[in-house]
Amino acid sequence: MNFQERLATICARMQDEKLALLVGVHDGAHFIEKPNPVMVLAGFKAIGAAAAVLHRDGTCDLIVTPTWDVERAAELCPHARVVGADDLLESLLALIGKVSAQGTNNDIGIAGLPFLPSGLARPLGAGLPGARAADRIVFEAARIKTAQEIEFAREAARIAELGYKLLLQIAQPGLSEDALALALKSYMKAAGAEDNFLLLCAGPHNRAVQPSTGRKLAQGDIILAEITPSYRGQLTQICRTVVVGDPSEELSRKYALVVQAMNQGIAAARPGVAMAEVCRAINVVLEQQGYGEYCHPPHIRRRGHGLGFASVRPGDVSLDNPTVLEPDMLFMIHPNQYLPETGYLLCGEPVVITEGGAQVLTREQSALGIAGRTQE
Amino acid sequence: MLTQHPTLLIGPSDWEPARMPREEFGRRIDALWERDPEASRAIVFGSSRHHAELAYFSNLIPKLEPAVALLSRTGAHRLFVGGGVNMIGAARPLTWIDEVLPMKDLADALAAGRAARSLLVGADSMTVGFRRTVTEAIGASDAATDATAHVWSQMRRKSRYELDAIDAAVKATGATRKAMREALISAAGVTQAVLAGERAADMAGAQDVRTLFSLDGGRTLRPFFASFKQAVDPLLAYLAVRRFNYWAECFPLFTIRPEPSRLHEKAWDALEAAASAIKPGVATQEIVQLIAAAIAPCQAHPVTARAFAQRMGLGLDEPPYTDVGATFEAGEVYSLRIGIADEPRGSLICSRMFIVAADGIVAFDEEEP
Repeated sequence: MNFQERLATICARMQDEKLALLVGVHDGAHFIEKPNPVMVLAGFKAIGAAAAVLHRDGTCDLIVTPTWDVERAAELCPHARVVGADDLLESLLALIGKVSAQGTNNDIGIAGLPFLPSGLARPLGAGLPGARAADRIVFEAARIKTAQEIEFAREAARIAELGYKLLLQIAQPGLSEDALALALKSYMKAAGAEDNFLLLCAGPHNRAVQPSTGRKLAQGDIILAEITPSYRGQLTQICRTVVVGDPSEELSRKYALVVQAMNQGIAAARPGVAMAEVCRAINVVLEQQGYGEYCHPPHIRRRGHGLGFASVRPGDVSLDNPTVLEPDMLFMIHPNQYLPETGYLLCGEPVVITEGGAQVLTREQSALGIAGRTQE
Repeated sequence: MLTQHPTLLIGPSDWEPARMPREEFGRRIDALWERDPEASRAIVFGSSRHHAELAYFSNLIPKLEPAVALLSRTGAHRLFVGGGVNMIGAARPLTWIDEVLPMKDLADALAAGRAARSLLVGADSMTVGFRRTVTEAIGASDAATDATAHVWSQMRRKSRYELDAIDAAVKATGATRKAMREALISAAGVTQAVLAGERAADMAGAQDVRTLFSLDGGRTLRPFFASFKQAVDPLLAYLAVRRFNYWAECFPLFTIRPEPSRLHEKAWDALEAAASAIKPGVATQEIVQLIAAAIAPCQAHPVTARAFAQRMGLGLDEPPYTDVGATFEAGEVYSLRIGIADEPRGSLICSRMFIVAADGIVAFDEEEP
C-alpha cells in the first residue's frame, strides 16, 4: 500500500458514511501513544497545531502553525494545498465555512479531538457542532503501514541497534542515567533519527522502565533501555537489558526465559491470528515456569504495542485486543516482564507481519547485554 | 518559540536545592494565596509540552506523562504523576514536594476537598477527558477559579535564582554557538554543525536543546528531519538551551564572509536602538514602531513578524506567548529579536537576551567570566 492508496481507502469510507469532509487535528505535541491524524492524512509532522482537511474527492488542505512553517509543509506535502496560520481554529473554521455546503456540519467527520488539549478541543467542538467523530475511519485505514513507512521503520530499527551498541560500549559505573541517555540520543540523531522515545533507567532490582534521572550507574546494576528512534516520522523500538559487570547465573537464566517467551509471541504472530493470541503465547511460557501472577497488572499491562507517530494500530499486544493481524501491520513484541528474583527485564523486537508470519526488523535479537566490566 | 516537540524529554532535570531552594517555591505559593484569600487549594496541571506553571510551583517537568500538583494552603502539598505507581520513583528526584502519588489517586483527593475553594492552573492544556474528570471530582462548577493568567503575571518578574538559571542557560548557548562555529570552520555540513552544537550544549549541562536551521540563506527555518551533508553559507540557526528548567535562545548567523553585510548592520543597528529604548514603563508599541522605522524599507522576518520580543523563562513559548503586553516591567527577562527579510539581499535574525532593570536593560553575557 502507498500513501495515495490509503487516502483512497479513507475517501471510500467517507462516501459510505456520507461525509463531505474529514478533518484531522493535532496539537504538535508528539507522543508515542498519541495517534496523529494529520500525519495519516497529509504526511506532515508539524511543529505547532495543524489540521488536514480531506475532501471526498481525495484532495487535501493542510493548515499549519506557526505561519513561518508553511514553506516546509508545502515542500514535504506537494499533494496538499498548504496554508500557514497563527490561529489554527480561526483558519480551519474559515476554510470549512468556504467549502462546506451544509451549515449544520453533519457531513463533516473529525479525528484527533480526544487527544487535543481542551483549550483547543472545546472551541473546535463548539465551532463544528454537528461534526461526527471519525477517528475510526482514519486510524483503521492506517492500521496497515505503507511501504514507505515500513522502509522507514527498518531504517529506524537499524539506528536503534547502533544506539544499543553504543550503550554497550560506554555504560560504566559512575555515569549517570541522564548522561547515558543523552549520549545515545545524540548518536542516533547523527545517524538520522529526528526524535527518540528513549526510556532508560538502572538499578539493582528495577520495578519498571522509567525516564532517566541523575542517578549514577553502579556495578551490578541492571540497565533497562527502550530505544525508540523515529526516522522521518516513523517510530521503531528495541527493548534491551544490560548488566553492569558480570551477570549472575540466575539473571542469565531468567533473561533466557523472557527471550523464549518473546520468541513464542513472534512465532504466534501471523495473518489471521488475533493480537490476544500473541499475548497468550507469551504468557504461556512464563506461566509454565510459575510466573502466572506476574502476567497481569500491576506487573504487566501489555506485551507490546503499535508504532506511531501516525497511527498506533494494531494496538496493544494484550489479552483484550481482538484485532486480527494482517500483512504489513507493524508493532512491538516485548514481554518486558517483572520477575521477583531479578526485577523488571526488557526484551523486545519490532515486527512487520508478512504472509509467512512475523518478520523481525532487527539484525540481532535481544540477548542479555554486558557493559562496564572491570578490566583485568 | 515553537520548535519540534520531542516525544520524550531526555536530559538532567533533577531538583537542585542549591539552585532553587525550597523557600523559593514557598514564596511563590504564598504569592498565589495572596491573590485569592478565599482559595484553600490549587490544582496545577502540566504535560511534557506545557508545564511552565507546574514547574514554577513544583520544579517538576513531566518527561513522559502529565502531572498535577495539588497545593494546599494549610496542609501538605501533593504531586500526582501519570504512568502508574511505577513512575513515582522517577518523579521523586525532580521535585521538592515530598508526597508523590499516582495519578489514579487524584480524583479521590480532589473529591475529598470538595468544600474547598480551588484555583485551577493550566486547565486548557488538559485533554477534554482529563478536564472532565477533574471538574467532576471538584464538584460544583463554581468551586474552581481559573488562576492561570494570575500565575503568568506572577511569573513575569524573575527572582535572583531564576536569573542565575537563565544566565547558566545563556552561557550554554554560547558554548553551543562556539562549537557550531568550530565545526563549520572544519568544513562540516549543516547537520554535523548542528549536532556538534547540540553535543556541546549537552556537555555544558543542558537539560534540553532545540535547534532550527536554514537551508536557504535565512529565509526559512526548519527542524532536523534528515541529514543534510552539504555546507550552507550563510547558515542561520535558532538555538534554545535549557538549564535548571530555564530557557535561553539565540539566532546565530555563521558565514565565511569577512565583512558584515549591509543587512546585518541594519539589523544590529535596529537591535541596539530598540535595546537602548527599553525601560520599565515603556510601551511595547513604541518599540515596535522604532524597529519598523529602523529596518525600513525591509520587511520583518516571518519568524519575528508577530513578536519582536519573547518572554523567556520556564517555557520556550512562555505565556502570554507572542503578546508581550502593553509595557515593559522591571524584573522581566526577554529575548529581543530583530528579523529582516529582504528578498534580493537575503534574510537574517539577530537577538539578545536581557533583563529589564530600573533604568534600562542589562544584557546577559554568553561568555563565561
